[in-house]
Amino acid sequence: MHYPWWYVPDLTAPMLIALVSVVHVLVSHYAVGGGLFLAAETALAYRTQDREYLGYLKGHAKFFMLVTVAFGAITGVGIWWTIGLASPLATEVLIRTFVFGWATEYVFFVLEIAAAFLFYYYWGRLPEKIHVAIGWIYAAAAWISLVLITGITAFMLHPGAWLDPGTRSFWTGFFNPQFLPQTVARTGGALLLTSLYVYLHASLAIQDKRLHDLIAKRSAGPALLGAVLITVGGLGWYVFLPESAKASLDSAAVLNVLAVLIFALTAVVFVLLYVGPYRNPGWLSPGFAAALTLFGIAAFSTGEFIREAVRKPYVLYNVVLSNQIYPDQVAKLRVDGYLEGGSWTKAYVAKHYPQVMNTGTVATIDEKKLLDLPHEDKVRLGAVLFQHHCNDCHAIKRGYSAVGPLVRGRTEEMNLWTVEHLDRAHFFMPPWAGTPEEARLLAAYMTSIAPPRPQGMIPETGSPSPR
Amino acid sequence: MPPIDANSLPALPAPFWFVEFFKVLGFTLHMIPMNLWYAGLILAVVLGAFGCEQGRRWGSRLMLQMPILVAAGINFGIVPLLFLQVAYAKAFYPATILMAWFWIAVIGLLIPAYYGVYVYSFGLRGGPEAMTPLKRAAGWGSAVLFVGIGFLFVNGLSLTTNVGAWAEIWERHSVDGAATGTALNLADPTFWPRWLLMFGLALGTTAAWTAFDALWLAGREGEDYRRWALRFALTAAIAGAAWTTVVGAWYVFGTWDAAVREAMFAGPVSLLTWLTGAIPWLPAVLLVWLAWTKQLTRTTVAFVAGAQLASLAVNAISRQVVQNVELRRLIPAGVSAQKVVPDWGPMALFLIVFVVGVGVLAWMFAQLTKATPEASS
Repeated sequence: MHYPWWYVPDLTAPMLIALVSVVHVLVSHYAVGGGLFLAAETALAYRTQDREYLGYLKGHAKFFMLVTVAFGAITGVGIWWTIGLASPLATEVLIRTFVFGWATEYVFFVLEIAAAFLFYYYWGRLPEKIHVAIGWIYAAAAWISLVLITGITAFMLHPGAWLDPGTRSFWTGFFNPQFLPQTVARTGGALLLTSLYVYLHASLAIQDKRLHDLIAKRSAGPALLGAVLITVGGLGWYVFLPESAKASLDSAAVLNVLAVLIFALTAVVFVLLYVGPYRNPGWLSPGFAAALTLFGIAAFSTGEFIREAVRKPYVLYNVVLSNQIYPDQVAKLRVDGYLEGGSWTKAYVAKHYPQVMNTGTVATIDEKKLLDLPHEDKVRLGAVLFQHHCNDCHAIKRGYSAVGPLVRGRTEEMNLWTVEHLDRAHFFMPPWAGTPEEARLLAAYMTSIAPPRPQGMIPETGSPSPR
Repeated sequence: MPPIDANSLPALPAPFWFVEFFKVLGFTLHMIPMNLWYAGLILAVVLGAFGCEQGRRWGSRLMLQMPILVAAGINFGIVPLLFLQVAYAKAFYPATILMAWFWIAVIGLLIPAYYGVYVYSFGLRGGPEAMTPLKRAAGWGSAVLFVGIGFLFVNGLSLTTNVGAWAEIWERHSVDGAATGTALNLADPTFWPRWLLMFGLALGTTAAWTAFDALWLAGREGEDYRRWALRFALTAAIAGAAWTTVVGAWYVFGTWDAAVREAMFAGPVSLLTWLTGAIPWLPAVLLVWLAWTKQLTRTTVAFVAGAQLASLAVNAISRQVVQNVELRRLIPAGVSAQKVVPDWGPMALFLIVFVVGVGVLAWMFAQLTKATPEASS
């Protein structure tokens, strides 16, 4: 535990990753699907010498470039920024494992950026075949980027054979059980989301009915194919989930609701696409397109959230726990102490509570002495433990999955039992990784932040129910 | 924080020199466009508002190129960032976590800065009527934001090696032992010269770019513009070299601790140190000599650009050596002492894709010779 923990009040630091990631994927999938759309449609427009359509596509290419090359690229870098801050150990493992995957992806990213600029800035100035070829170079590079990144993000959910040291390699990690389903689903997502953005853009930018109907019709096929690929990929995603992730889907109420929601929203998008642009292109008004886009974005964001949430208690399944330790460190930390095991937690104790440090050639924390501290100091050290062991998933008194309201009305003994049996009580929680003394400190802290049990509930705790 | 045993670190997937090579290469490439938005952008908006006719012309040219330069700069910046995290994670992550809100603000500032550049360039493309005060303000805003982003970057990377200050900074910016992410590295004596040093280099790059652009890319501009641009490049190159020398001397002789000074002035490394101090003058002296002997041609100006690139490369190498020395404070055996278990297969894949990618890029740019000229606006 060499890394400090970043305290983000109410939200928790890892939720910043979720925020940046969701915003980014809504653009990055368009960066992939939009490339395919522009290459295919520009080729068609040249072939049919459809000047109006070419005019629209040039306008769309400008919009595409402004959204993907600027916002998409920066939010992509933003994910790097946030994962390094909120999950440094997991990021370190990922980067050391997949540095050449990322480096290879980077080459395709450079091709994307260069091709996007040439495609737009040299519109009408290059021979048609070359212009279209550059469009296809962009599309191919963008899709390969998607494949390469998906291999790495899918690894986080299920590293597969990589977990076995005997077969551990870049390749076993990359071609993990989740790779194919997620690649299929993300390819579908890119097609679907792009069609929805195209509809919205076209409904606002085009007055000409022929062009309007042409775009509605042309993008309906990829959109429906996208919806099918998302469904197929989503089913594969579920089939190849680790058992704990499937169990999380069953047991967490919020995930139950979101899982139903994602299917409902996808179904709504599918039906609207079929009865709208596919069967009745004339229906594509700005309002219809906006509704379609909003449903699509809602389905997509929900899917991303579920994908992230089912990994608990890991950031990298069976590799790094959500509280930034390796699973094989737990046993040692239970003996030596969680405070002792972290450079920053130990420095905190040494600075503020030198009386609990054993003096020797190497100063260590005397766990027994922790319980001799006054109550307020125990609570304070419990807060340190909470920050480093729990704050990755739980806010304090209010906010994201705040612990105060969760343990409302519990006694300290009940909290102690919960701490000592974290992963037994809830399989999606990490195991307790401290000594019994530290568990007492954490329990004292949890009790201190919990509001009292709400009054007026019948029956009152410990009293018989009135009849 | 206690020192880290290099043997306790997970193995590097590539030889250390390989990681370092790509980190330095990426940073050198990143510096070219980054310098142009760091010093060039602010000069462009100032001259765009208050400059003479040719100065405004120069500002317009640079600002029309700026969206692509910003994209290139961000893009090239990813390489050193990736390899920095491979070999230097144990120093880089703690430092950036201590200043997390400021570090993440880089992303928040970069988005409006980038769009501001676009807005300004759209104003220029649309002619005088299109350049509204709001669009002009967007350009000014971007210039300020990029300087601010540089300020935050230097904070993050100087704190990465300022290991001795971590505990004290963390103590002041923490709640229950967790970092609040509100620290900056302003008390580090190396911070200010490092921040200012980049501005000197950036002036040099802006000068070299201006000269290159005037003779290679500004075919439609008149002879008056080219003369003005070369004079401006000369002035900027001398100013940049002088700035770099003064601030560099402050940095080296005023802020380096004994260990760094000893390492950087020992044996062959001292040659690198002196070369780093002297080489920013090379493009400036070349420009003066070429102007004096009236030999400023497309070929000779390419040599000036090459000299500036060499100056940036030497600077990047020197920074790397200094960083490695400074990080002995955290990893006493040295960052290069980390174990290596090379991942040959993926490395080969990357190198093959890299070569093919360069080939595809070259093909795409070669196609531009077939492009018809842009209609004048």
